[in-house]
Amino acid sequence: MPQIQFTADSQREGNLQMGSLAKAKRLTKWQLGRNREYRMLKFCTTLTGFLLGVALLLLLLQPSDQVWSFRNLSFSNLAFTFVLSLATCWRVRGEVIRENDLSRLSRNLGLVFVILGLFGNFFLQLAGFYLLDRHHRLECQLAIYAFVANWMVFLISLLNLFKEYVSNQFFLGLSLNLAMAIILLVMVLLTSSNCMYQTERIHPLLFVAALVTLAMTLSGNLFALMASLVIISKYRRPESEIEPQWIEVISRLFRNNMCMIGLLYVTFLIIMSILSKFTFEPSLAEENNYLALFIKPCLEYPFGTDSFGRDIFTRVVLGAQISLVVGFWSTMIPALAGGLLGAMAGYFGGRFDNITMRILDILYAVPGMLLAITVVAAFGTSTFNLVMALSLSGIPGYARIVRGSVLTVANNEFVEAAKACGAKNLRIITKHIIPNALAPVIVTMTMGIGTAVLSTSALSYLGLGVEPHVPEWGNILKIGSAYLEQQPYLAVIPGVAIILILLAFNFFGDGLRDALDPKLK
Amino acid sequence: MKINLRLAFTKMLQHGVYAIFMHILGIFSLPLVLYNFIKASGQDQCSDEHERLWREAEENGELQLLEQENYERLLKKQAFFSTQKSEASLRAEAKSLAREDLEEKISAVAPVKSSFWTRWQNAWDAIFLHRGQFILSLILSFPIYLMALLYLRPFARYVCERLFLMIFVIIGVTVLVFTLLYLSPMDPARNVLGELATEEQVAEFKRVYRLDAPYLVQLKDVIGRLFTFDLGKSYVGGEDVQMAFMRKFPITLTLSFYSVLLAILIALPAGIFSAIWPNSILDYSFMVIAMLGLSIPNFWLGLILILNFSIRLHWLPASFVAGNWKTLIMPVIVLGTSMSAQTARTIRSSMLEVKRSGYIMTARAKGLSERKVIMRHMLGNALIPIVTIIGMQFGSMLGGAGVTEKVFNIAGIGSYIIDKQFIPDIPIVLAGVVYVALTISLANLFVDLLYAFIDPRIKSRLKTN
Repeated sequence: MPQIQFTADSQREGNLQMGSLAKAKRLTKWQLGRNREYRMLKFCTTLTGFLLGVALLLLLLQPSDQVWSFRNLSFSNLAFTFVLSLATCWRVRGEVIRENDLSRLSRNLGLVFVILGLFGNFFLQLAGFYLLDRHHRLECQLAIYAFVANWMVFLISLLNLFKEYVSNQFFLGLSLNLAMAIILLVMVLLTSSNCMYQTERIHPLLFVAALVTLAMTLSGNLFALMASLVIISKYRRPESEIEPQWIEVISRLFRNNMCMIGLLYVTFLIIMSILSKFTFEPSLAEENNYLALFIKPCLEYPFGTDSFGRDIFTRVVLGAQISLVVGFWSTMIPALAGGLLGAMAGYFGGRFDNITMRILDILYAVPGMLLAITVVAAFGTSTFNLVMALSLSGIPGYARIVRGSVLTVANNEFVEAAKACGAKNLRIITKHIIPNALAPVIVTMTMGIGTAVLSTSALSYLGLGVEPHVPEWGNILKIGSAYLEQQPYLAVIPGVAIILILLAFNFFGDGLRDALDPKLK
Repeated sequence: MKINLRLAFTKMLQHGVYAIFMHILGIFSLPLVLYNFIKASGQDQCSDEHERLWREAEENGELQLLEQENYERLLKKQAFFSTQKSEASLRAEAKSLAREDLEEKISAVAPVKSSFWTRWQNAWDAIFLHRGQFILSLILSFPIYLMALLYLRPFARYVCERLFLMIFVIIGVTVLVFTLLYLSPMDPARNVLGELATEEQVAEFKRVYRLDAPYLVQLKDVIGRLFTFDLGKSYVGGEDVQMAFMRKFPITLTLSFYSVLLAILIALPAGIFSAIWPNSILDYSFMVIAMLGLSIPNFWLGLILILNFSIRLHWLPASFVAGNWKTLIMPVIVLGTSMSAQTARTIRSSMLEVKRSGYIMTARAKGLSERKVIMRHMLGNALIPIVTIIGMQFGSMLGGAGVTEKVFNIAGIGSYIIDKQFIPDIPIVLAGVVYVALTISLANLFVDLLYAFIDPRIKSRLKTN
């Protein structure tokens, strides 16, 4: 009997010890998770490691002939930065556990990362900026992302220098790009230092800088737009304790790193497709050049050339623009049309609801792809028809989502209160129901752009998308699929472009859903 | 039994569509109903009393009193909301309100003469009161009794109602697709006969396929053919469309079936493990892989698989041959993995939602094994969204597999439609889209019925309705 008691006691003690150990472990984990710098560094190191793995695989599959080739150099650059970031990550981890803060040296290592990042490793550049930034202001983080997106475009445009000729506005575009990068860098410096935040109200100089940045939104830089809006809102309401809801949503977006990378990639593509009007030569992408058939990837043609001698690199870059435009419109149109129908059906209910939803059921019964194929085949291949086809098949989906969320919102007490106060139907719909039912629609739209890009390329692959000469990713893939055996890169590269844009939109959509979820506030 | 039937009759008559069907199917019983109706209307006296009371109230000044009361109430309301309305409009409003009040009061004492429809319903009901009438109507119009029997069985009734609605959906789809093809600027006659065809040849082609007929005539033709299952002949080659579909549909169905199977096999463990250990490395890697699977275009994955396993390694044949199971492997992998990504994400999220509920804690407190808690209680309760997404994906696969079918050169229904799009071969395209829509509608019905078996709450709701 006593022996049993003894074992039970020792067991309890053991449990206690185990418990405290687990508790300490959890505490450490929590401490590390709370530290933004460490989290970002770890995340970026993981991504760099992943890229390194992919690069290694490619290198093993197709070894380069020369020792000093571009590929080998970039691989060793990647490996070097990976080792460096791994070491820094370890160091920062130790510091966070011991002092819960970073030492001066670790912070200054961030500068090394930023400078190294200028040559291409954007993840590490981000991590470096995070290390340098002490105050974690939202506008500063946004400015960092804005700068990185801008710099990515600059570097990609720079690759055009290896071509035989460049477009007429190339240097204009390039210097514009560089100027914007410099302004953004100044913005990062201003927002990360304390000198602008001495008084109660933000220094007016920063406000002026924000206005300049706002003008840069014309280049498609979403981060610049957000950063300047945040600063302007802070300038106008210096004393308010409560942040507006949209600022809160943005800052919640930052919790999910994958989501931010997705948004970064999307922003990069938007800037790229706007600035490529200056920096890229469309004739390289659309006109045949029989002197340069099937050239393997090299510096002049980074992704090679196809059976008509067209530069795949330029085609892929210009293709982003078409994909984004088609994706945007074929999400916007059904979201507006379907949203309106769904909102009215959900709000008014009764017979209108019944008839509308039954009619939309007909559209819903046909698979979207099949309907799009039918429409495009009936009216011919053009970008307009494609957008119309994709929009038509998207309407019932949005109508259902909006109707569902309107039904849940319309039964809430605040709508009843508005009605009791004598508000008109239109006012209730626009002021109370739409803002509260918007979140699921926004998330679906974000994901929907990705799906539209996928459908576009699938239709183009079948020869039912945009016109064959247009540099669209599906079109490039279609040509590539004919030369799968000898020139696999022709099919692989546009596919990777499609995957990346879809990944970006999907990750962003996922993060946006979490950020908009009221339960997670 | 008779009582049940009577109840079913009463309910069916209150239901618009059922009432119409009762009158169509029970056309031979209508004389009986009419007889009952005339017999009953001779005995009605309620309405005189009603009118007398009204007259009395007007003469007594009761109406004026009510009007004044309502007017004062409106004045108070106006003062509270501080709105401005003219004297006359307030008076008018008060008057109408007073009439309503009085009507309500009088109706409580002496009901209004019942409407035509109510008396007609009672006439139907009266059939059950006489044995002779009942037997006669049973013999004359047994279809309505069959319908009533169906009405009494909730599941059968639900299925029949859905099938009935499906007819309208299918007609709608036909009209939609036909209209699209009719409005198309493409000319099938030119495309089939070639540029060199003479005007007479084109006219002859149009006459044979009735393409010169007006829109409504063609539409009527098409819908008529659809319901007689005579799909006509294709423009190119004069192939019998019905036979072609019979040949191609099983291939697409087999492909979809195996893909769904593979998707479930991959997604179920991945989703369950991710939900059991959320935010673990396992969860992260599964979900990143799922995200990748969601983002990889099917046709691209197909090409990459062909490149590696057919061209480089010579393991698997690149294009489909009927009866050779090896050729099915790559298409099934392509379709199955892309489907499993979405399914795994759904399984994870819906299981995570269930995991926080109280009954899971209860199940653990009862001392059930962890396996039983997860499989029975968590998965069982999370099943509805999972079944929905699988059903939806099965449907979209029937239509969307066309691209994959083209990549692997599979003679399925999707690639058949795509091939004939360019002409456009209207009979084939139309029949293809309609058949796919029909299959999807049936699949949706099946999924909805499955809900009732998964969730007893839905089952009981179905029964009470």
